[in-house]
Amino acid sequence: MRIAGLVLITIGLAAALNGDDLSSRAWDLESKGEAAAARELLRRTAQGTSDAQAWGAYAEFLDRHRDPAARGAYEKALSFLPEGSARDRAAIARRLAALDLLAEDRDAAARHLKEYSSAAGAQFSLPAAAPAAEQPAAMIEIPGPLRSFARMAALAPDLGPRDVLPALARNVVTNGYQAISSSEGLDQTEYLKLVIRYMSQARELDKLGGPDKVIRLESCETAKTADLLKVLGYRMRGGCGSDVVLETVNATRAFLTIDSGFPLADLEQALRSNRPYAYDYHPSRIPVLYGQDYWLSAKEKAQGEFIDVFLGDPSICRLYLALAKMDPAVSAALRDGSSVLKLKAFAHVLDFYGGLFEIREGKAVTPGGARSEKTWAELAGAAPDKPAQFFERLAARDDGWLASYYDALLRVKGPALGYLTEPERLKRFYAAIRGKVTSPGPARPVFRANTDMMLLTTRLVVTADGRPFLPGNLGVWKNLFIHHPNGKYDAKLAKAAVGWKEADDVIEALFALCRKAVDNEPLKIFMAVSDLERARSTPLKAETVERLVRDYRAYGAQYSLFAETPSLDDQTIVAFLDAAGSLNDIKDQMARADAAGSFQAVASIWQIFARQGSISPEKAGAALRDAIAPFDSVRKERDLFEAGRAGLRALLAAAGAPKDVNVQDATLDLLAGTAMRADADTHTQVIEDMIRVFEAQRLISLQSLFDLADNLERAAAGGKVDTALLNKVAARISEIQAPRASLTSGEKNQLGYGYWTDKHIDNQRKLNLKAAVDKAGADAEKLRAIRGALAPFLRDTLVGLNYVHYAPPGAQVLYTNPVFVRSHDFVGVAGGNQTWKRTEVYGSGWPANAGGRLVGSLSGLPYALAETEQNFLIPSREQALIWGDLVPQMLISSTIPRWWNVSHAMVHWVGLHMTYGESLLAESVFDPALRARVLDSLSKNAAPARARRVSEEIQAGRVVAALDEVTPAELYILGSEFAPDAKESSIAGEIRRLALENPEQVSLAAISRAFGTPKPTLSNSYGPELLNLRTFPTLMGYSSRIMAETWESNLLYYAALADEIHAHPAELNLLIPAWTQLTVEKIFATHLEDWPALLRSLRAVGDEVRQKARKQQAAVAAGAGAE
Amino acid sequence: MIRLAAGIACICAWHAQPALAQEGQRPVFRVKVDMVVLSFTVTDNKGRYVNGLKPKDFKITEDGIGQKVATFAEGNRPPVQVLEDGSVKPLAGAVSEEAAAKGVDLRSDALVGTNVFVLFDTSNYMYRGFVYASDAIADFVRGLDRADSVAVYTYSRNLSRAASLTRDRGDAIMGLRKAVAGDDSALYNALLLTLRDAAKVPGRKVVIVFSNGPDNASMVAPDDVRAVAEDEGIPIYVISTNDVNKDSISSGVFKRISQRTGGKAYFAKTWQRQVEAFESIREDLGNSYTVTYYPQANVNEGFRKINVEILSDAAKKYRVRARPGYRPRGGF
Repeated sequence: MRIAGLVLITIGLAAALNGDDLSSRAWDLESKGEAAAARELLRRTAQGTSDAQAWGAYAEFLDRHRDPAARGAYEKALSFLPEGSARDRAAIARRLAALDLLAEDRDAAARHLKEYSSAAGAQFSLPAAAPAAEQPAAMIEIPGPLRSFARMAALAPDLGPRDVLPALARNVVTNGYQAISSSEGLDQTEYLKLVIRYMSQARELDKLGGPDKVIRLESCETAKTADLLKVLGYRMRGGCGSDVVLETVNATRAFLTIDSGFPLADLEQALRSNRPYAYDYHPSRIPVLYGQDYWLSAKEKAQGEFIDVFLGDPSICRLYLALAKMDPAVSAALRDGSSVLKLKAFAHVLDFYGGLFEIREGKAVTPGGARSEKTWAELAGAAPDKPAQFFERLAARDDGWLASYYDALLRVKGPALGYLTEPERLKRFYAAIRGKVTSPGPARPVFRANTDMMLLTTRLVVTADGRPFLPGNLGVWKNLFIHHPNGKYDAKLAKAAVGWKEADDVIEALFALCRKAVDNEPLKIFMAVSDLERARSTPLKAETVERLVRDYRAYGAQYSLFAETPSLDDQTIVAFLDAAGSLNDIKDQMARADAAGSFQAVASIWQIFARQGSISPEKAGAALRDAIAPFDSVRKERDLFEAGRAGLRALLAAAGAPKDVNVQDATLDLLAGTAMRADADTHTQVIEDMIRVFEAQRLISLQSLFDLADNLERAAAGGKVDTALLNKVAARISEIQAPRASLTSGEKNQLGYGYWTDKHIDNQRKLNLKAAVDKAGADAEKLRAIRGALAPFLRDTLVGLNYVHYAPPGAQVLYTNPVFVRSHDFVGVAGGNQTWKRTEVYGSGWPANAGGRLVGSLSGLPYALAETEQNFLIPSREQALIWGDLVPQMLISSTIPRWWNVSHAMVHWVGLHMTYGESLLAESVFDPALRARVLDSLSKNAAPARARRVSEEIQAGRVVAALDEVTPAELYILGSEFAPDAKESSIAGEIRRLALENPEQVSLAAISRAFGTPKPTLSNSYGPELLNLRTFPTLMGYSSRIMAETWESNLLYYAALADEIHAHPAELNLLIPAWTQLTVEKIFATHLEDWPALLRSLRAVGDEVRQKARKQQAAVAAGAGAE
Repeated sequence: MIRLAAGIACICAWHAQPALAQEGQRPVFRVKVDMVVLSFTVTDNKGRYVNGLKPKDFKITEDGIGQKVATFAEGNRPPVQVLEDGSVKPLAGAVSEEAAAKGVDLRSDALVGTNVFVLFDTSNYMYRGFVYASDAIADFVRGLDRADSVAVYTYSRNLSRAASLTRDRGDAIMGLRKAVAGDDSALYNALLLTLRDAAKVPGRKVVIVFSNGPDNASMVAPDDVRAVAEDEGIPIYVISTNDVNKDSISSGVFKRISQRTGGKAYFAKTWQRQVEAFESIREDLGNSYTVTYYPQANVNEGFRKINVEILSDAAKKYRVRARPGYRPRGGF
């Protein structure tokens, strides 16, 4: 088929017009989103024929959608090819060989490669079959099943044997020891004590297992039964037989028995039925890196087994962890060049920064390449061509500052890398970060302390001419350091700033501040304003930047609003800051909270409309100005009601809503996202979910509030009060409950703090609307005053609409606590000034205060809501680790982006890239030239140790094992790098075809916006984007939050999955939140950086979804066949 | 623009999917109406359970509005259909017209016995008593009436469904014995999720919490959870030890939350001494009455007060223990 000048593998078959017709029809159907129909058309056409072309078209379609039936269809196509079709034969055979490898069918792959070689004249072959996994020379034995040890040591049960000791080492280092105040030593934590006690119990059980390592009981009444129960800490109550019950006699032992998962219930059952009992208690064999002799001194060997020494010495664990995650070539070089004792001295540096050390072609890889090698040699004190020496010196120098600098620069790409690694600058910035006193180094705390440096180097904007971009001008930053209103950051830097002449001076100062343990405000300001500038076509004026810098402390949390919409002009940003400032001048605290809440809610609704495209970028600035302008004059509640209403109306007008529309319905409709007519069902479902939350919060609809206000105005002018409407709103107000604090007033006084929100709710509950209207009678002024009393209700409705939009899947809190929205505290606990600060969750685990609530502004609302919901997710396995920071980020990635405007082409684009990425890895098995290029590309994102494992698996022909090591985001990048030039691949051809036909839809920016993730910490914006960074580690001050933001695989994976099962793109709005919830519930991680656990979970969800879809497809096909 | 009615669906006492029922063993229920399930006990002036009362012996009102009882059951006996004249007839093969019209199938033995949801605290607060509590729960599960089904859930920071609802005691105990000790305690989050699961199951259900009390991780307040239990008609029993008194909040909350939902709270000296509590709960389950009804028209969308009145002459001597009322919900 020859379509749009692209080469498909059936190119030689394209002569027949029928084939072209078929493909065109299938393509048309697929383009319209009817992939299932296209599949059916191709299947029906192919089946029952001997037409190679029809089978080829069907096979390609299946292949593009990762359908396992593709292999069978290709086989058919191959078998029906006429004589003389060498090129087609070669192409199909090659594709089949790759698919065979992906299906782990080595024999078929060999057969197809042979066929390929004979047709194409090339000589490709499979590597010799290697054992399933390379076994390290030395193994140790841990008594009992690995799953029991894993439970006690808090290790994920899915860990492969090779990963057990590194994971254990990490747990020992982070959780095994604690400082004790009475001495300088370390004390074992309860966690470690339990692991050690378990080992002791396991050894006793091992003995009971005898030589064949099976614990056997012939019957209930034997001495061995008593022995076993004694070891387990239990005894029998009641005589042998159906009355027997096991009960605890030794709590310590019994705890270990239960916690390690010993099958006590089975044992009890056997004793009750007096049946023989057998429990396999074979020891678990675990590989030890370099063998135990490397790690233990002669004295230590005499002390006990390896595992005992390992658990007892955190410094061994730290070094083990460091070497295990390092490029094997580097760790081997270090091992050969130094003793364990020597390496232990800087094991902490190797642990944190050694993961990116790499040796290539006998040389240490250095950031900046050949140009900077000399400088690195100078800084480290050893040349990169002597890698062992180089890395040892790098790690041993200055308590980790140089190593952390090296690590940060290795994560930088593009022009910033060139700028930062220019030799003179490299030295200059290193001197700044190092300072004169190097201790304590950045590797001393539990988390890496070089967070600010990593953020600075990763996010620094460097222009095409290789110069760093300074928002505003140099003067702005000089001014910040010299005259900052909140005090100087650093006396020396303030002095030096007077003489600053260029951008490098500012960057150097920022590097210098990175080494400080205190809050690094200048860098935060610099990054926030840089992020705001990053995507702008016209830079902000210097005076605007000056204002942003000056106001950062007060309003910095709001800047994400500006960063997400780069089309905002200076005037709008300044207007926003002015309006916020004027609201701060409202004297009455309750009125100020209501005003700030309403203002922020309106601005946040604008943000949602702009993000979803309901307000175009060109109109965004004017829309925001119009929406916030009414707040300028707000001084009391009555003004506020009008301001809120006018602000919202301005947004609806900007979004094109008709004037006479029901305001509540229109707002909900726009918040759900603008859908195509064909997606009405999905859209309705999304809106229904939103309405459920709105109702659960007992909020009053915008339309009711506005109608009532209008009616009161008419009544003030002599008209009649609409009693029905009044009763309706009054009834709703009467439903507002006081927060259920569960406590008596005495208990509350004793334990609870007062919240301003309680006062807010109290005031609302006190409003007797009907009485107020009756009392007002015909008094126009009093009737108008009642409108002011509606302002707090309008605030809650506006705020609630934001909550409703961002409600995570499930939303238990929103459904259970009917005053959760009303409880939003815009003032802050005990009168603290948190009105403009980032949203925080407050009061969880504090039953005295009616449950948790959100405090602060709305700027971090999506994340805070996700935080409140994360502990309601139910792990599919017992008490698995679902960890903070990662899960909220996953949840917001499923609630912030909406996929109404995503096309089939976009979903298919992602799916094809993933498929092509897999294909490249598979073909790398038999194509050495391709392998080198693929691995080189992969190493730009994968850590060296992982890239090495992929390489080893590929070279051994184990594609599936190699794929397990590669993230979906890396596969996507791999596909996108190779597809433009891959003329022989049908999948790459399809990618190019999509690019030609839908250039805008599949552009980098469009895909990034559709399947990227929000990165509020890393890029100060909730706007979804793909940054293609290496996955970050956990960092001081952020835990795993930044790591979570650099994890970009989920949405790409889900998009590919949707493509595979032929889901309609709009369905992603329902599927992705549901898949995300499933993914979280299946995570079983060992530690905070255990993203492989996330990957396993992601794939498990994919398998489930795929299986279900295949069943449905089979049922449809069977139904069609029957017809 | 899409305009939707304010209330999407009214799903109150019974929900549509018996997700926890085992396929093949339990019937599939399709319930789309706001049927109220009300369990209560009657005791005499000496605290002894009063048995043998008939539907005509009771008058049930909601906010003073008399209700027409659809089904009636005593203890673990199968429910019977209550006819217009107050007489009863077996449910098997005799679905009431009203129930049929509303899509409710009451012809199963699934309504016999109680669905008992055990919620076991495995947080750090239970570290010392973990194994004893585990033994105690195993004893409790073994002692349940044959007709009862039991599910075992555990919680620390998150909930874990250790054993799904089953009549096989071995399965429940197997799940229990696999519990892992955790860290933080989110009791009220876990209790809420347990109630949500329980609400999906047809028939009578109770939640029994085994905990020493403190909560340091929940986002929901105890009384918000209590309100859900009230609305769903699920009594909460709490079994605890005197250790709970170390946390001045928990003991008070336990008492109030159980009382308000029609359950009870028990505080023994140790986990090994919970025999009385178990006996008391079993007696409660075996001696309670369960009625169902479809609420009569009532404009009150807030808290509806339920009253169970005994009509016989001996009424003055008897005491009825039932949940005080519920809020009709917009659905979850």
